[in-house]
Formats: sequence, structure tokens, C-alpha cells
Amino acid sequence: MSGRTLLRLGGGLLSLAAFLVAWKLLVLLTDTPEYILPAPEVVIDRGVRAIGSGVLWEHVGATVLEIVLGFGLGAATAIAVGVALGKSVVIERVLSPYLVAAQAVPILALAPLLDIWFGGGLFARVLVCALIVFFPIAIATMVGIRSADPLLREMLLSLGATPGQVTTRLEIPSALPVIFGGLRVGVTLSVIGAVVAEWVSASTGLGVLINIADQGLFDTPLMFVALAALAIIGLAFYSLVVMVERRLVHPA
Amino acid sequence: MSPRRFVPALLVLVLVVVLAACQVDSTFQDVSSPSAQLRPVKLLLSYKPDVQFAAFYVAQQEGYFADAGLEVTIEHRDGPDVIRLVADGQAEFGVADATDVMISRTSGIPIRYVSTVYARFPVALIGAPEMVPAEPAELAGLRIGTPGRYGSSWAALLAILDAGGLTADDVTIREYPAFNQVEGLLNGDVDLITGFRVNEPLQLAAQGFEATMLTVDEVAPLPGPGVVVGDDLLGSDRAMVAAFAHAVEQAQAAIAGDIDLGLQDAVNEVPTIAEDRDTARAVLTATAELWKDASGAVSAAIDADVWASGYQTMVRLGLIDGSVPVTDMYEDVGG
Repeated sequence: MSGRTLLRLGGGLLSLAAFLVAWKLLVLLTDTPEYILPAPEVVIDRGVRAIGSGVLWEHVGATVLEIVLGFGLGAATAIAVGVALGKSVVIERVLSPYLVAAQAVPILALAPLLDIWFGGGLFARVLVCALIVFFPIAIATMVGIRSADPLLREMLLSLGATPGQVTTRLEIPSALPVIFGGLRVGVTLSVIGAVVAEWVSASTGLGVLINIADQGLFDTPLMFVALAALAIIGLAFYSLVVMVERRLVHPA
Repeated sequence: MSPRRFVPALLVLVLVVVLAACQVDSTFQDVSSPSAQLRPVKLLLSYKPDVQFAAFYVAQQEGYFADAGLEVTIEHRDGPDVIRLVADGQAEFGVADATDVMISRTSGIPIRYVSTVYARFPVALIGAPEMVPAEPAELAGLRIGTPGRYGSSWAALLAILDAGGLTADDVTIREYPAFNQVEGLLNGDVDLITGFRVNEPLQLAAQGFEATMLTVDEVAPLPGPGVVVGDDLLGSDRAMVAAFAHAVEQAQAAIAGDIDLGLQDAVNEVPTIAEDRDTARAVLTATAELWKDASGAVSAAIDADVWASGYQTMVRLGLIDGSVPVTDMYEDVGG
């Protein structure tokens, strides 16, 4: 392990320790009961028990599946639409109002309708996830495509490149940093999308676990465990996107 | 002005100012004294402002709370938050499901049920007449929609299944966490749904769907929602808690005797209710029926027998572990 990696790891651990200490101090100083704000060690203990019993894995697995499928579907569609928007002003003028309007409608209001239209299964939840990630990635792709150097585009065309070759050889590669900016935003939103979808219709998933802990068991520490699991999943997927970005955009 | 004239003038001026101040003070006291005697308290209700909560609007508007020495502010929160915030002392009173009180008390939350609001359990299994069986045992194999595997609807469903010797594994459960199980029933995705006895049948009727019910009361009685308070408040001011419970009971009795009184006060509180006055009246009439005990009277008294059998049912269903005795979960402040 290099010195730089160790430094980064140490910084992360120090930050985590500071966060836990501040949390513990808050509980101690305000004398808040466990059912309002449990102390970190209570949450950790509850998390260990939830992992040991297998309860947490079942819900984590369902949420991760929705995130992977929803993000995959949403990102692939958004990049395709974003390229089209970037290349054609006509398409942008026709589609933009619908895209903006769809983004302006709260996903929490849309999700119950999708649930009814698509029968409330995994597909409906994946669709909710895909919809929430679509807008930032599509817009980032459009902006990225348009940011390609016009002189290089002219040069490629003058050398006889087809429009498809201009897109694949120039516009998409030069748009990658911006597209990955959209992907970074989208992947964190996909976690929210999965939870919202589970709140509308699901039997398993971390959103369901939050509801069970909150409304069924009055188990506030378990709610925090579910929230922590969501945060870890979000961080993991974000890190994965950053890793892929580093390999594709800034290869060593 | 000479000093001889200045001094009396100054004295007169001071006298006028003092008298004016006394007048202002006494006027202020006259206006404020009635409310100054009232103790400001907060009441948390679940769901959203609705005609079902007319008893609390009547208690507020007709002066029952004021007669009890209370100035009540009503707020709406999620059901679980009602229990947590009342237990923590952030609000003095709440209205919560008795089944939630059993679960939260078992998990260590210092909350206590002090008076009955619903003498009958308000959740039922609802569906088309040909799908609602006469006996719970006939539910086997049916598809049932419910908000989730938590809360009073889940407890009611399990209790009904249990009364027929069944478990959740003997039926197909479809979950509707957004409480849109009515759409599921109308779409034919499920055969039956759990729902509030006074709401879902009316919603279905509005869609031309004739519905009947299998109620929990018929097969496995569970205690209904009631007033809850934190242990600290109950220990420190039992008289105030009793006065509050009595005020609610008085308001309920007033509505049971005059539905239009409750409807009008509900409209005063939630003007949109007036848009569909007939439906609101039907909901309130049905709600008032659920307040009445077996003798047909509105009573805030806690039925210890129903609590004891409901507690045993909850233990048998695995919803509570029985570590906290049922008598530690409620205290009848009227008794």
C-alpha cells in the first residue's frame, strides 16, 4: 500500500472517528433517549445483530439489485438521449420541455402511478430508479457533446469522417469528463430512487426495513442501521464510478 | 413656567401616567386572565386533518378543553412519531393505536394508554361480498393487500388469520406502503385489502365497487386507538391527564348525539371537508359508531378484558414478546 493511499485511509478513519465522537457527545450532552437518537455504540451493536441474524443482507441485496438495474437502465438511456440532444438542436427543442417537466414532478408523486401501471414488481421499482438518474446524466451528456472542439470536428469532417465517426472518435471521448460528472450525481440519486420505490411497493429492501423498524418495531437503532447501510452503498457505488472514470478519462 | 406652577403640573402629569398605566394593566389583565389560567398543551394526531378527528375539534371549539383548564394545540405527525414525541415530553398528548402502544412499550418507550377513543377496532378486511368469507379459515389461498408488515393493519390481519388457524404464509400478501391498496383491489391485483372501516368502503363505493367487511371485533378483539401520554406526565399530573380524557369523551358524546355539530366544527377546522359534506357526514356517522362500546354508549373507559385478550393475541402472533405485563401498558385515568 502506497504512502498516499495510507494517508487517504488515515484521513478517512480520522474523519469517521471525529463524526462518531461528535455524535456520542451530542447524545450525552442532550440526554436524548435511545428511541429519539441512539448513541453510536447502540447502533453498531444493533447492526452487528442485524447482520448476524441475516435480516440486513436480505434487505441490502434487494436494494442493491434495484440500484444496479435502475442505474444501468437510466444511465444507458440517458447517455443515448443526451448524445441525440447534443447533436440536434431540433431534438433538444422538442424533448427538453418534457425532460424538464418530468424532472420537476416529484418522484414520490410519480412512483405510486408507476406502481399501478406496471404491476408493482421489480420492474416498476427499477423504473423509478432509472427515472431519477436520467435527467442529470442526459443533461451532462448533452453539454459534454456540445463542448467538443469545433475545430477538431471540422478537421475530422474535412478528412472524410462520417457523423458517426465524429461522435464516437471525438465528441463522446471529449465529453467523458462531463458525462462522468452526471454519472456521479446519478449514482447517488439511484439510492434515493430505490428507497422511494420501496416505500411505494416492496416486500424487501432497505426502504422496507426502515418502515418495519420505524412503524412495526419502534426500533430506532435499526432505522439508523438501515440508514448507515444506504450511506455505505451510496459511497461504494460513487467510488466505483470514480474508479471507472479514472481508468477511462485519466488512464495512467 | 415658575417652579410653583411646575411642581403641581408635574405631579398631575405623573398621576395621569400612573392611572393610565393602571388602567392599561387592568384592561390587559381583564382580557388575558381567562386564557392565562389555561395550560397550553400539545396534542399529536396521526394521518392528516380530517373529519375523523372531529371529537378533538369539537372539544376545542365547544370549550371542553377550556373547561378542563387546557389550551390545546393540535398537530399531525406520523403514527410512530406521535408515540416517540409524546414519550419524550415534546407533546403532552397523542392518539395512537393500542397495538402500537403494546409494541413500543415492549421496546422500552415510556408511553402509556390512558383512555379509549375507539371502543371498536377500526381496521377490517374489505372486499367484494363474494370474496369476504364468513369464517377466517376460508381466507386460505386468497390474495390480500395491506400497507406493510407493520402497524395496526398488519396486527389486525394476523389476528384475523390466527382466529382461523392460519398464518401469513397461508395467503398471498401484497404490500402497498403508499396506502394505495384500494387501487390494487379495484385493479383486481388482490382479492381483499386491510383498511379503515369508515374510509375504504366509502372510497370503493364512490368507484361503484360494492364492498363488505370482516372486522377484527367479530373474530379476535383487539383494543382500539386511544389517548396516550408519557410516563413522566402521568406521574406528575394525573389530574390534568384525566381532565383531558374527560374533555375528549364529552366531545365524542356530543357528536354521537348531534353529528352535525361535529361536522360543522370539522368544517371550521378543515374547510375542504365542506366540498363533499355528504361523504364527510357518512364518515363521521360511521366513526361515531366505532366510539361506542357494547352497551352503545361512548365511554373513555379502558376495557381490561379486551386489553388482556388482545395482549395474548399479540404475544401469540410474535408481535410482542410478553416481557412487559399488559397492566404496565395502560392506566385508566377515568377509573
